[in-house]
Amino acid sequence: MTDHEAAAHSAGPAPLDRFVRLCVPLTGFTAYELRSTGMAQLYFDTAGREIGHRSLDAFLGVWEEAHQGGLGPSRLPALERELARALIYLWYTGAFPRIAPAAHAELRRDRPNQEFVASPESYPEGLVWRAFGGHPAGAKPPGFGTWGDEPPVLPTEAELAARIAAEDAGPGGAVAYDAGSYGSAGESGGSTPAHLLPGPRSSRAVSPSAVPPASSHPVRETSPEAGE
Amino acid sequence: MSVHTTGAAVDGRHYDAIVVGSGWAGSLVARHLGRKNWRVLVLEAGNGGTDNWVDYQDSVRTFSSAVAKVPNSAYRPNRAAPSPDVLDLSPGGPGNPDGYRATGHFLQTGPLPYGTDYLRALGGAGMHWLGAVPRMFPEDFSTRTAYHYGLDWPLGAADLEQHLRDAEHLLGTAGESREQHRLGTVPADHEYPMEQIPPSYQDKVFHKKLDTRTVVDKVAGNREYRLQVYGLPQARNSTPNAAYPTADGSTYKPRGAVGVPNFGERCVGNASCVPVCPVQAKSSPLRLQQDFTGTVEIATRCVVSRVLPGRGNTVRGVEFREYGDPATPASRAYRAEADVVVLAAHAIENAVLLLASHMANSSGNVGKHLMDHPTLLAWAETPPEMPVGPYRGPGHTSGLECFRTAEGRRQRAPFRVEIGNWGWGWATGAPMSSVSGMLGLGGDSDGEVNPDGRYGPALRSALGSHLNRQVQLQIAVEQHADPANRVTIDPSRHRDAMGNPRPIIHYDLAKHVRDGMYAARLAALEIFKLLGATDRSSYGAQADGSYPLGHYRHSPDGVLEELDLVYHGAGHGAGTHVMGAERATSVVDTYQRTHDHPNLFAVGCGSMPSVGTSNPTLTMAALALRSAERIHRDLAELHQPVTVAGPRAARTQEVAQ
Repeated sequence: MTDHEAAAHSAGPAPLDRFVRLCVPLTGFTAYELRSTGMAQLYFDTAGREIGHRSLDAFLGVWEEAHQGGLGPSRLPALERELARALIYLWYTGAFPRIAPAAHAELRRDRPNQEFVASPESYPEGLVWRAFGGHPAGAKPPGFGTWGDEPPVLPTEAELAARIAAEDAGPGGAVAYDAGSYGSAGESGGSTPAHLLPGPRSSRAVSPSAVPPASSHPVRETSPEAGE
Repeated sequence: MSVHTTGAAVDGRHYDAIVVGSGWAGSLVARHLGRKNWRVLVLEAGNGGTDNWVDYQDSVRTFSSAVAKVPNSAYRPNRAAPSPDVLDLSPGGPGNPDGYRATGHFLQTGPLPYGTDYLRALGGAGMHWLGAVPRMFPEDFSTRTAYHYGLDWPLGAADLEQHLRDAEHLLGTAGESREQHRLGTVPADHEYPMEQIPPSYQDKVFHKKLDTRTVVDKVAGNREYRLQVYGLPQARNSTPNAAYPTADGSTYKPRGAVGVPNFGERCVGNASCVPVCPVQAKSSPLRLQQDFTGTVEIATRCVVSRVLPGRGNTVRGVEFREYGDPATPASRAYRAEADVVVLAAHAIENAVLLLASHMANSSGNVGKHLMDHPTLLAWAETPPEMPVGPYRGPGHTSGLECFRTAEGRRQRAPFRVEIGNWGWGWATGAPMSSVSGMLGLGGDSDGEVNPDGRYGPALRSALGSHLNRQVQLQIAVEQHADPANRVTIDPSRHRDAMGNPRPIIHYDLAKHVRDGMYAARLAALEIFKLLGATDRSSYGAQADGSYPLGHYRHSPDGVLEELDLVYHGAGHGAGTHVMGAERATSVVDTYQRTHDHPNLFAVGCGSMPSVGTSNPTLTMAALALRSAERIHRDLAELHQPVTVAGPRAARTQEVAQ
């Protein structure tokens, strides 16, 4: 990174604001929820360091354009799709993941393609715990006996989409949520498809993001870039 | 309060007793002897420093920073006194279905991997244990006589009753005595100090769906088993039991965190018992160390390298090395002497010490009969309308007990079905791996970016629904004492950085155990069917052609379909210096005194001739208390010059004054 790029990367709140704003539709959490983790700056810096500030900036540009055009992450080209996943994983777990080796190679990263926890504070701020109405293991304990309570009723996908669309409403109005291009299973979503579930960890030394799925992804007739 | 000392400070000194190891067994022995006014030196190989509030938080932070949140992930690595870690093992790779690769503290030579760890640090593996304290069944003590497998104990459950109660008191246990009495593990008049830890929401779902239903065990002659969900007794702070009898008639008071008053006196649901309870509502040996009298000194970072021989068949003390920096093995050698030496360093480290000292092995049984609870994990997804709410509460709060006892044991090893409260965490690395899975992150088997995935609202909603429906059964199978499973050393070739011999482990699963695990797999499928859950377990070849660690294929009789099975280590190392009445076939007597040396004791799970299907800590603690009483009587006798003659006794007497 040149001094100029570094300066641009860290110049005031505007780049961070943009980063958070663009992470809202990626994560399904509102900007307020993302900010309240206290991790926005750390994740912006971590992502910049891991994939390169220039690559991060380029990704945000591609994603912004797609999003403005009403398209979800599954319509992104392969590299950008994987970067979207990496950012979401960072927000959801507090750890930067191992990414697809092809994407790792394309970025020409000078860092090992290995999962690491961004900081001891980021782990308990992972959004995954909030996604199912839980709390991080080893932090934010909910109190004696609470584990006997019924799990909470969670917001539906439509409610979540409406919540973030309301926040997104700019001068041109809110961007409509194109469920299909966010990989939505729609109303039929009961049993999760095996290729979206983790398989067994072949040993405890395998990091969570390196656990292969329970089955291979189905072969596609057409490339995802061309639409589903 | 415990008195901390250093190796240099105690060099050449004489104590009434030296205790090697500061885990549960060592802490119980040292505490008891200190209260009897004996001068005790506790030598701990690993780091100290967790026995105050501020430094304890370092363990919590270490855990938070760890990518793989395994049992040792909350504790710093230590080159000078290395611990085995479950991260040391990896599968053999494609084309080598049952193979494995091992690095780290153990050298493994057996056909199958020994997947169990322990911790060398103040408090030992008692720092990362779950806190499960179910009792063994009376029949577990005599499987050889009753069911023709394994080794019998030289004593029975009734002989241990008082010590079990004392252990339940000292560890601080919570349970439902009426239910445990119905199960057959405690007498009718039994009470736990605290009321049962509340069952999880998932436990209630299992009650509703499974109680009174039946499962047929094809491996055990099509025997029918009636399911009933039972609560788990735990060494975890709960509501005091008003009916629990105390010495002065007051109500039992739970003991909380070390160094902070009135904190941790009830479990608050951190759901991280293994590896670390942030509030210390889970009991640990640090609590017992708070009771140490001023006559008990602890020296950490002191690695005992051998037991020193004394006159005749007695022992004189120990030789140990003290290091200053856990990152480097630079150390100095010292000696300390004592009338009694107690090895309480974990089953495997005890065996290494005895072998390295050429002691207590006239039977040839030191290191033999290594055991664990090989554990089958089975996982499933419940229907959308039946969430179970995992990742909340202690690791497991209930189980299915019907496969643990009676005639079925003759045909296959018995097993206990733990109802896991932490989703698919152990099996798959969830919930983190659930995030990457749902995203399609990480690429396919060729490394190319995956096509499918969920994002944004679709991701959050799908994950929220799915994670609340993860069910995992952890089925611990009894492993009986088998002389072929053993710990050896080869000091000329295999030493650790400090120069102490590394444990060499030879491990396998006998047919009886494999049959038990096969039956456990079939039982899990039946249980999932009754729950209406979709089985997601996978034990065979993965997408890249490799097999999970601990894989084997098995059919009990050649007629039943051959299945892929996978076992995991439970952290229940046992059996390396088994107890017995005959000195020709065992290493220690019923007091855990070595047959060969009247003043050398080896305490801990290593003494257990069988482990049943119960987590072994409670039984180990009862045995340690029994030993402590015996050692007190021995020391009292030694210090009566009228009845004990000879130059050694006279010298001891001088030092004592």
